[in-house]
Amino acid sequence: MSTTGCNEFVGHLEQWMEGERPSGSQAHLRECPNCRALAGDLEAIREAARTSAVPEAEPPAHVWVLLRAQLEQEGLIRDGRRAGWLESLKAHLGGTFAILPRPALAGAYLAAVIAVAVALVAPGVRQPDESRWIAGNQSATQPLSAQLASAEQDTVSTWTDSNPAVTASLHQNLAIVDNYIALCEKSVLEEPENEFARDYLYGAYQQKAALLAQMSERGE
Amino acid sequence: MITQPLLPARSHWRAAALLASALFLFGAASASADRLERHFKVEAHPVVTIHNPNGTIVVRAWTKSEVMVVATRATPQIEVFVEQTGNRVDILTHQVSGAATPADLRADYEISVPENAELEIHDDSGGVNVSNVLGDMNVETIAADVALQDAAGYLTVKTVGGAFQCLRCAGRLEVTSISGSFRLIDLRSYSVRAQTSTGNILFNGAFLPNASYHLKNYSGLIEVRFSPGDSFDISATSLKGKVHNEASLTPSSHRHFIPRFGNALFGTFNAGRAKVELSSFDGTISILKRD
Repeated sequence: MSTTGCNEFVGHLEQWMEGERPSGSQAHLRECPNCRALAGDLEAIREAARTSAVPEAEPPAHVWVLLRAQLEQEGLIRDGRRAGWLESLKAHLGGTFAILPRPALAGAYLAAVIAVAVALVAPGVRQPDESRWIAGNQSATQPLSAQLASAEQDTVSTWTDSNPAVTASLHQNLAIVDNYIALCEKSVLEEPENEFARDYLYGAYQQKAALLAQMSERGE
Repeated sequence: MITQPLLPARSHWRAAALLASALFLFGAASASADRLERHFKVEAHPVVTIHNPNGTIVVRAWTKSEVMVVATRATPQIEVFVEQTGNRVDILTHQVSGAATPADLRADYEISVPENAELEIHDDSGGVNVSNVLGDMNVETIAADVALQDAAGYLTVKTVGGAFQCLRCAGRLEVTSISGSFRLIDLRSYSVRAQTSTGNILFNGAFLPNASYHLKNYSGLIEVRFSPGDSFDISATSLKGKVHNEASLTPSSHRHFIPRFGNALFGTFNAGRAKVELSSFDGTISILKRD
């Protein structure tokens, strides 16, 4: 019987995906269908990213600079294998962006950046001590927060709608989402290892990106 | 001598409907008329789309194989387009003049459709009310409230600030909002995903075997009602808020990731045949006995 539990296995998931296969983890995987399914899903995602890499139009270069800087800062880039994975992911996302109509681009772009950030700070890549957690969270959230603030400024400054009920509702709800982002950011800062708070924070980011995209499309 | 028609009668009107795709314009030219009524013959599973920036939309099912559109516009500042293309009817409110008050731009609709119709509704402000329609539907609003009664199929509802109520709905339901509250009453859905930020969520429906129910908010109240005969496996987590529970739960056998933060509750009620997941950031979760 395996002495490795689910939480321990998930804690070492990053190493598992890198090819490290300790006997305890292997034994646990044989016994636990849920962890087996999780590892299988991650492998399938990686494989899909690898096989669907096609030369397509690219998102702005600073996205990849931002991601690379974040990965390096968190110490996640250690060898060529991970960079290859990133390149595959980049190509995969590039292909997705290429087929999207322009109005959907801004929202989809923000949503994709947020999704990538969620993946990067998921429990599978957790850091061993709190200071690294804090640094990792900050490096992941600050660029997103800044990009959303910039997108908000652009959208709101050009926003017009003849229906005051619609205008009021959109502004009111944007303020609600901003408030939750602030609360969640505070919570993540106070409890850096709190996955639940982080999930809610990224959910709020995604909600804001979707709302700004909606406003932007109405304004066109 | 009896001459047989080349096509059966049904095919005749089908061909006519396809070929004579009609466009009706209810516009500025008929300034005195502020009520439009149009009828369209349709086949089974027609698709009806409605785009209306401001006003109420009431859709009811009836037994006729036709779509009836009754539009009432506030002023001639807007036009109402109603167009049939094959088995699809498109309804659109369009602003004629830029210089108009919001009240001028209001159009209200009463629409009757076959019960198997599929609906696509966009209504920014006003209200949407759909009853007895069993086809799939997608409703998107900003400030407008949405109320569905006796609906089925795959129901997707998205609002920004509008409230949502679903009474005796079945099928599959996905609803999202930022500040809208949800009331899901006498539901018989096998899949429910409901997420709002500041709104309350009330679920008072059946827990079907093998069904899944995911209710999530940031703040506000999530209230779930259960009966002694219900069977579900439940997880309820509120990071900053409270979890109240009146169900006698037994430990769940397949919980893996128990959060280290917040207030959480996991367990099985009876055989645990339905899956229920409730989560809130700083709201209250209440699992209460049905009255």
